[in-house]
Amino acid sequence: MINSDNINFIVGNKNFKKEAHEPFNDKICNFLDQLSIYLSNPKVSQDYSDIKTFAFFCRKKNILNLKKKSSNLESRKGLGLLFHITPSNIPTNFAYSLIFGLLSGNKNIVKVPSKIFPQIDIICNAIKIVLKKFNSLENFIKIVRYSEDEDFTKKISLVCDGRLIWGGNDTINKIRKYPIKEISRDLSFADRNSFCIINSDRLIGIEKKKLNEIALKFYNDTFLVDQNACSSPHVIFWMGKKNLKIRKKFWKTFNKIVDSKYELDHSAIFYKQDRLFSDFITKNNIKNFKNYGNSIYCVELNQKKIDPSKLISRWGYFYEVEITRLEELSKFSNVFTQTLTYFGFEKKDFYKIIKIKNFDGIDRIVPIGQALDISLNWDGYDIINILSKVIDIR
Amino acid sequence: MIFFEKRSDLFSYSKKNKINFFDNSIIKLVNFHYKNCSNYKKILLGLKYKLNNKKISNIPALPVSLFKRFNLHSVKIDKIIKILKSSGTSGSDPSKIFLDSFNSKNQTWVLSKIVESIIGKKRLPMLIVDQDPKGINRSSYNARIAAINGFSIFGKSITYLLNKNNKVDFKKLNYFLSKFGNEKFLIFGFTNLIYEHFLESKLKILHTKSLKNGIIIHGGGWKKLESKAISNKIFKKNLKLNYNISKIYNYYGLIEQTGSIFVECPKCSCFKCSIYSDIFIRDKNLNIIKKNKQKGFLQVLSLLPTSYPGNSLLTEDIAELRNDIKCKSCGESKKFTIHGRSKNSEIRGCANI
Repeated sequence: MINSDNINFIVGNKNFKKEAHEPFNDKICNFLDQLSIYLSNPKVSQDYSDIKTFAFFCRKKNILNLKKKSSNLESRKGLGLLFHITPSNIPTNFAYSLIFGLLSGNKNIVKVPSKIFPQIDIICNAIKIVLKKFNSLENFIKIVRYSEDEDFTKKISLVCDGRLIWGGNDTINKIRKYPIKEISRDLSFADRNSFCIINSDRLIGIEKKKLNEIALKFYNDTFLVDQNACSSPHVIFWMGKKNLKIRKKFWKTFNKIVDSKYELDHSAIFYKQDRLFSDFITKNNIKNFKNYGNSIYCVELNQKKIDPSKLISRWGYFYEVEITRLEELSKFSNVFTQTLTYFGFEKKDFYKIIKIKNFDGIDRIVPIGQALDISLNWDGYDIINILSKVIDIR
Repeated sequence: MIFFEKRSDLFSYSKKNKINFFDNSIIKLVNFHYKNCSNYKKILLGLKYKLNNKKISNIPALPVSLFKRFNLHSVKIDKIIKILKSSGTSGSDPSKIFLDSFNSKNQTWVLSKIVESIIGKKRLPMLIVDQDPKGINRSSYNARIAAINGFSIFGKSITYLLNKNNKVDFKKLNYFLSKFGNEKFLIFGFTNLIYEHFLESKLKILHTKSLKNGIIIHGGGWKKLESKAISNKIFKKNLKLNYNISKIYNYYGLIEQTGSIFVECPKCSCFKCSIYSDIFIRDKNLNIIKKNKQKGFLQVLSLLPTSYPGNSLLTEDIAELRNDIKCKSCGESKKFTIHGRSKNSEIRGCANI
């Protein structure tokens, strides 16, 4: 018996019985589509852009598209009960985690952060309303909020068939102390660092309008989340000849966008000063420093081996490295590196480098502007496959 | 070598004299620390600071948080006689300030001159609104104890108002007042402690008027009062109302620049700079704000730090210049007011750094 007296069930009941669907179950897909329609109403989403993005993700067309890309669906089934521990900094993250669980055919208990976000309330409320039309799915969604009730975490960990633990690393280490069943699966989403690579040759002679578009995409990858998402680039690699001038032009264009859209607050300024002075003291490979107002700090590093896990910054603090060949990326990336956004390259350029033997970083390589687009491949996991089991029928 | 000049024109200087003395001295100090503190040198090199710089506005302002993470000192470690540690907010590392005897003596000298300008040369009986630091279980020499020790040299018959349970010891208080209450005496403590014991849970004194001869010197601890929406003005008004105390001096000081504190002028309620200190207000691009009544980051400059590179610091406090207020007792010194700590913003993103 699980004591859940102190647990606030925002959505769902206290029935913990095991049930599972096949991935992309029709009812689940319909439910998500209805949820998408409901949340797309501006009266409901109250113009929260992150809710709109989430609603857009749930729409039928996108879900069917994702389904098409998945294989072996007829012999797959959800693991059973998933326990999600979601992060306190991105308000809509819990909802994506829930979708991971639903689409792979599982029942879900999602722990949302104790910190109050209006987005969480709005989405949970929408789920409750839409669920009324989907009686049979009632047991599949439970959203809970509790502060530090270790007993509940411990007990759910023991009964669940899989856990999704979203970072920071402290949370992951804390939750991992609670054992799961021998057969259960643990997925952790640790603190990560991300890169961007720009082919400066492709920026030479570029139209002003086009450069603006690229800079705006870069803005969406970074400042939209204070450069604090794991997939926001922290290190910018520049490849190409004579790129000094073009680099300056890029940052200036970017700076204009930041200044017109972003309100820099005091703690950000203080953070960046502190970070810069600390970098001067601790890093012996700083080649140059340049700032554009206080919005953008660029610390250029020498080509010495750098540890990406030490280059996590925020609020418009970028490290820059010049490279001459794509292969050099393997020197700089390690398991901590999550996303590489790119401009001025082709997809095929990257297939070559991921084959390099000592290339052990980077889980996502996406065009500039798509850093934050969540997908069913995340942190190196093929989500549907890892959250379901395949039944070998011969 | 560095020198320390004992000046008598602490607040009575002319603008021109201040520039001659202060600006020249601090530029020399920057160069001294550059030569003697390798971490400081790295910062200056990184910022491409020119050692022949003559403008004090170009001197880099170290974020105060830097003293938490790095050991910054400009004299050999065997010359260090004490390390001041800030109390620090829970969870964060304390600042570490390395003092040699030269630096420490100069701090005491300047502090004593500043306090003299308020209470005069004579030592006064002193009531400290805190526990006896001897009784406090301490692992380090923290800011609160440093302040108590620093200020207690101006008092005699020092009486600690609080017992071990942080409650007012009324027996002690009444004894102190019956003995010294008829003449001038000093009350010293952290702002929030004075508020807590004097105003929130009012002192049950036999004669409330017996505090009227007290001169209050208080500083720090505004954070708690801000959360209760108690301004400096209300604080002063209520002390006057309840105890008829009218001589109340608020001071602003950082442990990173102990000694060269900024004391509030009782006439115009602004903090003023002594000849040993200066300030700049900086905007979001860290450019200097020259206009009055415009809020920005407070940068504090002091001539006192010699054993550590703390002469120019960027604080997290928000302040504004108030040189528009004409005040005879402030003379030509730069004046400012403080609006508390800059707010920690809610950060978006997924990394819990």
